[in-house]
Amino acid sequence: MRRLRPKLRSVWVFHVDAGACNGCDIEVLDVLTPFYDVERFGIKLVPTPRQADALLVTGSVNRQAVIGLKRVYEAMPPKPRIVVAIGSCAIAGGIFYDSLSVYGGVDKVLPVHLYIPGCPPRPEAILFGLGQLLGIVNKKVRAEEYIVKEPIKDRGYRGLFTERIYKDVRYFLTKYVGYYDRDEILENVCEVLRESRSIEEVEHRLIAKASSVRDPRLREVYLVLSGFVVEQLRGRSRT
Amino acid sequence: MSYEIPHRWIVTFRYPLEPLPPPKELRGRPIIDPNLCIGCGACVRACPPNAITEEIDISKGIKVVKIFYGRCIFCGRCWEVCPEGAIRLSNEFELATPNKDDLIQYVVLPLHKCVNCGKPTEFTERQVVRVLTMIQELPIERREELRSKILLCRECKASFLSKPMELRGSEVYEKVKA
Repeated sequence: MRRLRPKLRSVWVFHVDAGACNGCDIEVLDVLTPFYDVERFGIKLVPTPRQADALLVTGSVNRQAVIGLKRVYEAMPPKPRIVVAIGSCAIAGGIFYDSLSVYGGVDKVLPVHLYIPGCPPRPEAILFGLGQLLGIVNKKVRAEEYIVKEPIKDRGYRGLFTERIYKDVRYFLTKYVGYYDRDEILENVCEVLRESRSIEEVEHRLIAKASSVRDPRLREVYLVLSGFVVEQLRGRSRT
Repeated sequence: MSYEIPHRWIVTFRYPLEPLPPPKELRGRPIIDPNLCIGCGACVRACPPNAITEEIDISKGIKVVKIFYGRCIFCGRCWEVCPEGAIRLSNEFELATPNKDDLIQYVVLPLHKCVNCGKPTEFTERQVVRVLTMIQELPIERREELRSKILLCRECKASFLSKPMELRGSEVYEKVKA
């Protein structure tokens, strides 16, 4: 077991809800449950800001909440006065960023020492952030900039596989199976279209694919898809 | 360590000290693949909190697609609408940082230059390549008409297409065909 040498010990935190939807608040409570148990690092939730070293602020800071938030901040002891912004709303306003009754971010009102993104952040993400505050883990993200120079890669158009049929199958699959399972099925269909020479062969291969998969939902998708692809290809060759 | 409840007395995960792999379906940080992005802006239109934005700089001839994870709500709409499969949500959730500037990803794409006057247009080179591959299946007259519209900038297009057919300069046609 690695010995911990944190920069800070026994950080007592006070939790402020500055207009959150309670999603982030529930995740903050999750961190205190036995599964995640943040008290093993000496972090304790206290009932008054006068005993607190750190504020956990959740929610898009709206105009009514900012009065209480400033009073809480002034009631804290003058050192160290750490402010942690938890959730998208507390960082930059989240989904409410252009609403009229919202300041959009804790850093418009108070100096913030740590940002924890997420909507809501997972309990692990909050633990990771608080671990960073204590100095037991290091941050993993950094700003990335890519300057694109090379042209776009070819998709390997061959046989019956063209850009139009790719787009049509893609939109069809987005509606039919959703984005999560789409990419793998799309890749298989593209491979079938590249390798087959006639429309009948495409239909035959897709039905063979459907009978070879074990998942009945996937089989249904391949059967419906074979009808759709053949209809598209026939309609195109007629015009 | 897994998410099944362990049959032992201590149930606490040793998480920040030991890694705890997230579930496969977790919607974490969205990442733009710069090798696939064409800068069409579909994700910019779809993003509910406008975490993804685009800026066109005509004088430098670039388009910048910028994604700010601080405002992202990890809904996956960008993944759903991307026509190229360039943006997808990864499994990374450890995004906590003391500096807000760490939460930004930029992708800088070159803009297409008009074949007649050489000035940058409003769309990227990669978009033009995609459209040119998409019109390959059309009949030849329609394809040539579309080619002349795609490859020219707005002013050249207006001056070129407003003329009647016989007065259109043949040199523009040759440039378009090349």
